[in-house]
Amino acid sequence: MENAAPGALANPLRQGLVEERFPEPATMVIFGASGDLARRKLLPALYSLTRDRLLPSRFAVLGFGRHAQDDDAFREEMRRGCEEFARRRPVDAAVWSAFARNLFYQQGAYDDPAAFARLKARLDEIDRTLGLPGNRVFYLSTPPSTFAPIIRSLGQAQLAPRPAPGRPFARVIIEKPFGVDLETARALNRQVHEILDERQIYRIDHYLGKETVQNLLVFRFANGIFEPIWNNHFIDHVQITGSETVGVEGRGGYFEQAGILRDMVQNHLLQVLSLAAMEPPIAFEADGVRDEKLKVLKALRQIPAADFDRQVIRGQYAAGSIAGRAVPGYRAEAGVDPRSTTETFVALKIFIDSWRWAGVPFYLRSGKRLPKRVTEIAIVFKEAPHLLFGKRADSIRPNVLSIRIQPDEGIALNFGSKLPGPAMEVAPVSMEFRYGSSFGVEPPEAYERLLLDCLLGDGTLFTRADEVEASWTWVSRIHRRWAEQTASGDMRLPEYAAGTWGPDEAERMMAADGRSWRLP
Amino acid sequence: MSDAERARANFERFARGEPIAVEVGEIERELSSLWQQASRVSAARLGRAELSREGSGTLPGVPSETTAGSAVSRAVLWNLVVPTRGRAGLEKTKALCDAIAPAVPVRAIALCLDDAAGGQELSATIDSNVVSQPSGGRVVYCEEISLMGPPGAETHFGAMVRALQVPGVRTATLWMDPTMPSALLARELLPVTRRLIIDTASCARPMDLRDLEALAARALPRPIADLGWLRLSSFRLLFAGVFDPPVGGAPLRRASRLAVRYRAGGDASALLLVAWLGLLLDWKPLRAAGTPDGGLRFDFERPGGPPVQAFLVPSAAACDRSAILGIELADGRDEYVVTRTAVDEAEVRVPIAPPKTVKLDAASDAELCVAALGPRGRDPLYARCLAYAAQLWSLR
Repeated sequence: MENAAPGALANPLRQGLVEERFPEPATMVIFGASGDLARRKLLPALYSLTRDRLLPSRFAVLGFGRHAQDDDAFREEMRRGCEEFARRRPVDAAVWSAFARNLFYQQGAYDDPAAFARLKARLDEIDRTLGLPGNRVFYLSTPPSTFAPIIRSLGQAQLAPRPAPGRPFARVIIEKPFGVDLETARALNRQVHEILDERQIYRIDHYLGKETVQNLLVFRFANGIFEPIWNNHFIDHVQITGSETVGVEGRGGYFEQAGILRDMVQNHLLQVLSLAAMEPPIAFEADGVRDEKLKVLKALRQIPAADFDRQVIRGQYAAGSIAGRAVPGYRAEAGVDPRSTTETFVALKIFIDSWRWAGVPFYLRSGKRLPKRVTEIAIVFKEAPHLLFGKRADSIRPNVLSIRIQPDEGIALNFGSKLPGPAMEVAPVSMEFRYGSSFGVEPPEAYERLLLDCLLGDGTLFTRADEVEASWTWVSRIHRRWAEQTASGDMRLPEYAAGTWGPDEAERMMAADGRSWRLP
Repeated sequence: MSDAERARANFERFARGEPIAVEVGEIERELSSLWQQASRVSAARLGRAELSREGSGTLPGVPSETTAGSAVSRAVLWNLVVPTRGRAGLEKTKALCDAIAPAVPVRAIALCLDDAAGGQELSATIDSNVVSQPSGGRVVYCEEISLMGPPGAETHFGAMVRALQVPGVRTATLWMDPTMPSALLARELLPVTRRLIIDTASCARPMDLRDLEALAARALPRPIADLGWLRLSSFRLLFAGVFDPPVGGAPLRRASRLAVRYRAGGDASALLLVAWLGLLLDWKPLRAAGTPDGGLRFDFERPGGPPVQAFLVPSAAACDRSAILGIELADGRDEYVVTRTAVDEAEVRVPIAPPKTVKLDAASDAELCVAALGPRGRDPLYARCLAYAAQLWSLR
């Protein structure tokens, strides 16, 4: 129930349960249930949550999609998905059996009012049969063009009433991309807000559900020693890398429209940047954290036209080699225009106009077909003000704190150490913390955390409307400048061979500042 | 055998996780030496494996210049002290620590009083606990230290524990063997313990609850975790879930009768479960009496509500170590029932919905210890429930 439950419904046995973050009974409706995301991520996450006893015993999932199939076929398909992709494998027959009994499917079109009337009737029937209180989460795992029609249909069918005390909750999770530029994001926010209160909207960015991204907040704000040096007095620059080895993987049509700036930077990397750079929130709760992230996004300095080509580098991959296998260039991929000008790599030099970060460049890069899949933040500290060790100073490097988001989640601090022996030789060494070896358990999947948070009504790790618009405001300027360059015939899109770290221009951007990219 | 050969043989046994006898005063030095050898071997092995996989000269995520010096990092989240008695107890303790390590790396310090040991001296063994994760690559390295001595040797254990604690790491004491001298815990171990873990399932008689309550009171303000209490978690969660909306808490406030069915011998668990309900529902215990079936009946009063009768009903049915077979709560109109239908399964019956079968967790002792070392081991409700349960027993 939204807000406090009235006295008659309050459950005294929930007091003091250590599992205090326990969601109320609910039904989750997944639009696009026959799609890849539901099979690979959503149902495996819900199964793992059930396995870990983090979902209420009265919980149902209703898949909704255009594809015709019955409940049993849907259950079978989802079971195969869980067997292949769930974190907790092999699938436990008893857990699955209980979980699958409350899995249902319904066919329908996303803009058909009759289909939504049938959906409402089916949900009411499920509530009656399973003794559910009418709480619902709607997951929009569908193409972006369907977001507004689905939400409109939910409103028309009275499936998404605005929150009120004592009333069952209705929440909507919206997948990325949320708009393709500032105008479309604003338009979508307007359409969504016609039906829903902002508190009902959960814009998902699965990066925020990753354990290391959350640990970034703990690392910064639960330890006394890092925050005092987390500023321009001690930090030389910050590098954020989000690289992939894969190409477009059959999504050439989508990627042609998106490009890496929309696909990775506008959402994932700017979210990571805002968490790394934000001020301490007044409390660890949704709006406290999101207010501070928003300030960072609003403080991103607009890149001056005169510096644009020095601060924004894009590229496109050519044929090359990944993991010992020859791979084609981007323009030879299925669904890609042979004369495509879509960027598959981008490197950016960004400044944040704030007291804390004045003069500290943030270098972001993201690309496809790079040598390895990695997402990391590297905080590069300033050198010691006076080097005592003369000619051996060559081997002294700046301290680097690297926060690995994926894979091998963890944190490493590089520093110089004296090599054993009579000579005063200095060597860089690394002090590492890895989740895998320190805690011995695999961190939960990002979707597990995020689905659970939505059921609990905790929006901290979801993106708010103003955050989305602020990041699009900044990114859309780059797109506009690229459009102007294309129109004036001044477009620069250097190629890089698949399996390299991007075009030479990206290295030159760093070299011009006397720096170099890390090899993560 | 030369010193070098002996060292190599020791390292090979250490790498296989076999215990190595060491001088009591040399434990840290021996461990340090063996881990250094492990680092050298690991660096060589890791280098070869990664080079063949990556086809390049650097390790992923590690600057190439550090490759040659890759160290094996020992992981320690807790010092875990486990007093036990006899060789069989020691073997059981070591198996438990082996099972805990993959989830919570610990430096395990087993303190064993061995009635069969001769002489007066302490003896010591060390062994490694190296855990390869199924996903490959990630490895947890931790260690176990076993100290053995004849009865009376417990006077040395406190000093040994203080010397062997990894600095800056919290210490938990797993007090599972009621035959160990209580002075060891009270005088030597409690002062260095940050979390005390007990197991009410080891209470052979419910009157032992009184002793545990006294122990818990002495340990305060340290968190006390009880594996027996944690075993009740899945039943408590399931029963609590019955009263989530739309049922709500009204039936609990109207309740007039409660029955807890339990496996005979599991009185302590049954008492803890009644104590949990009594505490949260504000029931004041008035009296207790035996019942013809060998169980107990308790009468409660509560402010502004009808009196409540609670029955503990023993049974010979099969059950897991939680010993709970079912809970029935009646409010004069309806019944709310959770009944175990198999060791790991229960049926939930509420008036508003058809019966539903759900899975019950059947956690091993190692899994419970892992939970006890985490946030679930800091349950502020527990000490109050333990005191309430002890009070219930004293009414009898």
